[in-house]
Amino acid sequence: MTRRSLIKKMLMAIAAALCAWPVIGFIMPVRYRPPRKVLIREKLPKGSFLIEPEFVLFASETGPVAVSRTCTHLGCTVSFDETRKQFICPCHQSMFHWNGKYISGPAQKDLPRFEVKTSEDGKGYVVLI
Amino acid sequence: MRIEKTGEIATAALLISALSGFLLAYQYEVAEPFISATAIETVIPFGAFWRSVHFWSSQAFFLVLILHIWQCTGSMDRFCRHRKGRIHWTVVSLTLPLAMYALFTGYVLRFDGTGQAAGKIAEHLLLNVPIAGSMLDRMLMATSTEGLNRVYTVHILFTALCWGLGTWYHTRRVIVGRKIFLYTLTAVVITGVLIHAPIDLPGQNLHLIKGPWFFLGIQELLRHMAPITAGIIFPMIPLAIVALFPWLRKRSGIYSALAIWSSVYIIATVVTLAR
Ligand code: HEM
Ligand code: FES
Repeated sequence: MTRRSLIKKMLMAIAAALCAWPVIGFIMPVRYRPPRKVLIREKLPKGSFLIEPEFVLFASETGPVAVSRTCTHLGCTVSFDETRKQFICPCHQSMFHWNGKYISGPAQKDLPRFEVKTSEDGKGYVVLI
Repeated sequence: MRIEKTGEIATAALLISALSGFLLAYQYEVAEPFISATAIETVIPFGAFWRSVHFWSSQAFFLVLILHIWQCTGSMDRFCRHRKGRIHWTVVSLTLPLAMYALFTGYVLRFDGTGQAAGKIAEHLLLNVPIAGSMLDRMLMATSTEGLNRVYTVHILFTALCWGLGTWYHTRRVIVGRKIFLYTLTAVVITGVLIHAPIDLPGQNLHLIKGPWFFLGIQELLRHMAPITAGIIFPMIPLAIVALFPWLRKRSGIYSALAIWSSVYIIATVVTLAR
């Protein structure tokens, strides 16, 4: 390669990077979205549960527990099997206990939990996602 | 069939897919993807028909494109005499990943059980790519932060790029004979009337989702291997071989590599189908 063609190639690379910069800089930012609160307007009796799109809320002996339904493998929404009290993922069949503990499948990790508070009027719950 | 014919059929199918896609876009709503797709399928006059036309012309485009590329590998001496021809091949072969991603995002746009799962898996796979992961996700998917906005944009953008590469760059003009166009249209319409485009009912597949047909092999491999291996590196192998074919074609191992890859993929697909 001659020096001339090397310089030409380098200039082209710099030009390409200069063109890509404003494009990638425009695409990358995530607009700010405040954390979402999901309001549950009922008090669950102890031992019962409520299936929501993003989590399942359990009224356990030690208080309310909200277990995320996002699979820790590749993010599919896990289903709650009510008879076996287990989560199962429809995509690659990972399984989890009701409290989110990992049982089997490619996921390897426990399902995370969301923070749950009693709602201000005391008649329900607020789950922070 | 001659090479020119498969090229023409692919172009005709892409044209029908794009036109029916723009028609669907009039009633499709990105903010309510599943509800609007269901409305198109069930209540809007001719909605089911146009979904079917779009679905089947898209499948036809993808399949005929693969056939076209396969046929062309048989007469490589024509393309490979000069460096310019080899580079032309590599650039035009980009239509394959573009078409595959356009097809894939179509399933995500439907946003039924299968579509939602496909979108989530694709996003996680992209994020698993070292270094460029979050950039690829922001460019190609980003469903967790942007809903389907970007998926929809890329669906149309990649169609446009396929069209541009296949006509403006590859053949310098649009080559679709009237006859070929009518035959393709007839085949698509008949198939569409006989077999509707699928859509899952809510809660239909809570314990087992089977993804789009061309994704089933990857889905099985994802049960056994690291996401980056099964979801990114493995599917890249045939795409890379096709793209670099003019440089690799004299190597003896290349056809056996393709044969082994296809066998693994077909077996994995059958295993998922049998679940
Ligand atoms: C400018 C071109 C295009 C536009 C505007 C467009 C638009 C759309 C829209 C609005 C949908 C959702 C409709 C629904 O699911 O009911 C859709 C779905 C879909 N698209 Fe496209 N599309 C275009 C090109 C393509 C191409 C080139 C392909 C394939 C290579 C493709 C494959 C699909 C598939 C497989 C679906 C799912 C079909 C269904 O279940 O309804 N599209 N497209
Ligand atoms: S996404 Fe849940 S097991 Fe793969």
